[in-house]
Amino acid sequence: MASFFKNILKNKVMLLMVLPGAIWFFFFSYLPLVGTIVAFKQYRFNREGFWASIVKSEWVGWQNFKFLFSGTDAWVITRNTLLYNIAFIFIGLVLSVAMAILLSQLVGKTMAKIYQTGMFLPYFLSWVIVGYFAFSFLSMDRGMLNQILGWFGMEKVQWYSDPKYWPYILIFVSLWKSIGYNSVVYLASILGIDKSLYEAAMIDGASKWQQIRSITIPMLSPIIIIMTLLAVGRIFYADFGLFYQVPRDSGTLYSVTNVIDTYVYRGLKTTGEIGMSTAAGLYQSVVGFVLVIVSNYIVRRLDKESALF
Amino acid sequence: MRKSKKRLSVALAMLTALTFVLSACGGSNANSNSAAGSSNGSSDKPVNLIWYTIGTPQKDVDKVMAEVSKYTQEKIGVTVTMKMIDWGDYTQKMQVNVASGEPMDIMFTSAGGFDYVTNARKGAFLQLDDLLNQYGQDLKNAIDPAFLEGSKVDGHNYGIPANKELPQQEVWRFNKNLVDKYNLDTTNVRSLESIEPLLKTIKENEPNVTPFAMDKNYVPYVPYDYIIQNLPMAVKLDTTDYKIVDILETPEMQAALTTMHKYYQAGYVAPEAATTGSTSDLMTSGNWFMDRAQTQPLADNLWSASYGYPVVSTPASDAIITNTSVQGSIMAISANSEHPEKAMQFLNLLNTDPVLRNMVDSGIEGTHYKKIDDTHIENLAESKNYDMPSYSLGNNMLLYLNPNDPDDKWDQFKKFNAEGKDSPILSFNFDSTKVATEMAAVQNVKEQFWASLMTGTVDPEEYLPKAIQKFKEAGLDKIIAEAQTQLDAWRASNSK
Repeated sequence: MASFFKNILKNKVMLLMVLPGAIWFFFFSYLPLVGTIVAFKQYRFNREGFWASIVKSEWVGWQNFKFLFSGTDAWVITRNTLLYNIAFIFIGLVLSVAMAILLSQLVGKTMAKIYQTGMFLPYFLSWVIVGYFAFSFLSMDRGMLNQILGWFGMEKVQWYSDPKYWPYILIFVSLWKSIGYNSVVYLASILGIDKSLYEAAMIDGASKWQQIRSITIPMLSPIIIIMTLLAVGRIFYADFGLFYQVPRDSGTLYSVTNVIDTYVYRGLKTTGEIGMSTAAGLYQSVVGFVLVIVSNYIVRRLDKESALF
Repeated sequence: MRKSKKRLSVALAMLTALTFVLSACGGSNANSNSAAGSSNGSSDKPVNLIWYTIGTPQKDVDKVMAEVSKYTQEKIGVTVTMKMIDWGDYTQKMQVNVASGEPMDIMFTSAGGFDYVTNARKGAFLQLDDLLNQYGQDLKNAIDPAFLEGSKVDGHNYGIPANKELPQQEVWRFNKNLVDKYNLDTTNVRSLESIEPLLKTIKENEPNVTPFAMDKNYVPYVPYDYIIQNLPMAVKLDTTDYKIVDILETPEMQAALTTMHKYYQAGYVAPEAATTGSTSDLMTSGNWFMDRAQTQPLADNLWSASYGYPVVSTPASDAIITNTSVQGSIMAISANSEHPEKAMQFLNLLNTDPVLRNMVDSGIEGTHYKKIDDTHIENLAESKNYDMPSYSLGNNMLLYLNPNDPDDKWDQFKKFNAEGKDSPILSFNFDSTKVATEMAAVQNVKEQFWASLMTGTVDPEEYLPKAIQKFKEAGLDKIIAEAQTQLDAWRASNSK
């Protein structure tokens, strides 16, 4: 016990720094875990307040989970969610690492800052605004793309009712928005790599490409693995704004734009069954949790140092 | 490796810190708790009622409520605190407020915002049958009995509907400038087919005008009443056997969708109608020729005044009293109210006392409005700080008239209400609890097909069979069967 307090005393500065985050996690991530039982209840209001409502609502077992797996859409939404996220993770990884390396090679620091800020900016835009950006390109009668097609004498495309273009559009828009942020994370750790390694490589006559392959990428791999593991944990969560706002909720595109989150929203927005939406969230977290454990296990087997835990 | 891990943790810490900052910006909590009244119904001390209502929050709400409180304290011993929640946020914020047990006494609910029937069944509202008999006798005499009858859920009243227009009637609205320019006759149109020659004239002569304005919520009118708004289950208005049918399989809807597709292909409908959220920019610019809307007495004047150019309308359907029209604006007493009797007394007074009702609606005389004569008022400059939606605040027929209103405005409303025909399923409210799983799937199919079929964007020859098939796969038949069972039971107990 004494050593425990001693330990706290010794690390008090560090612990103080962690405190705000820990409090935040306690209130917004751990405390709400109790509410998970709503997933197994038919939630009904009780005049005594929230806790009484939870306790007095009727148990319904797995009933609330059924809607996710019944009907013909279950396969479509699972496939869309998984495939899009896999595409985002891998294409995003390659592009943001490439971008980070390019930025780190820029000599002019002002230009590097300008590019960096420019790429970072879309990250701060709301999906509603991004949705309107996309609309200004893709609108049927006033969109820029259709104007350009018109100059070349090609026929106008009904972008918002033809599903075949949308996997590309969605991946493009998502990457445009997220790459800047991710590349900054990678850039930060590239800048932290010991300069003497590069100097030694240069003395040995290594080309830029060889330096990148043999120094930058291996030194980056721990953070690449961590970022990827974190992304894998959220593979069953789709970015609602991307899949709802950008295609303007167009029904004819659902075969390629409907994902778990939009399905849950559309299915429950009128009935407002809290139990069913909690069930969907629990299902997503459990699958995400399992995936993180499994992929971390695989990483551990390959390289013990790089694993998260 | 050790070194890089350390740097990594620094980078991660920064990342996390940034995430905090960003997520902190997102959440804000506008609800402050106010004291829920200290006394428990004793007549000496006034009881404070907390009243949640819909609409853009107004600057002078507290000022006006202070005046209102003075008046109500004298009459029934209550003071009032009003909390307004903006249009778009109302449903969501109220769900949170009710679920978390936020203290409140009176709240606005309707078929459109914070759904009345669903929340009554979930236990959000107090059942009012006894309170209504005890404290609401005046109110019962003041408002059209059809409102109280039509807003019963499973045989009980859970709210006080606002006395206003009772039936809903669809009309074709026309931009009168264009009607006059081409000398068109709008008096003989009624069916969807009958508007074609007009649309054709406009399309040929006015390339910049959208002939038939609509947004993604447009649904062609067919003489059916829906069990749930915009889900394809409906009962024919002149039914005798009360059979619920899939609206997409009815000959009326199939004909209407074919016509809509013809109009879409002819360019009468905007190419992106199926994803358009609102036509308000067309209304502002005046670049539209016609659309369909729901009417009320003197609506043409209202529209013309708000758009700044003349609008005329002509009926597209009969005036029908439906659940949706009856449940358009209701005030309910919260299930967790500490003073249900006082709340009922207040609602009774609000719906019968012109002084109180007009104060809540228009504010303080001399500050927000001035009287022109006994019945007419004029807004003063300050009224911009207290601009309230009249429909959501109780009995409309007690309100003062605007300068341009005819003296018999409310008589016209009463006449309109008296002429409305009851829908066969008026006051039947489907309980979808047993088929919640199927409802979620069916909602998704509806979202997928509805707007593009209804606006004519896709060819019904190809897409209608697809939609019908997908609805069946999602379990529509099971929902219809459940609804039919409930409807038959309701019919038996109401001897229809």
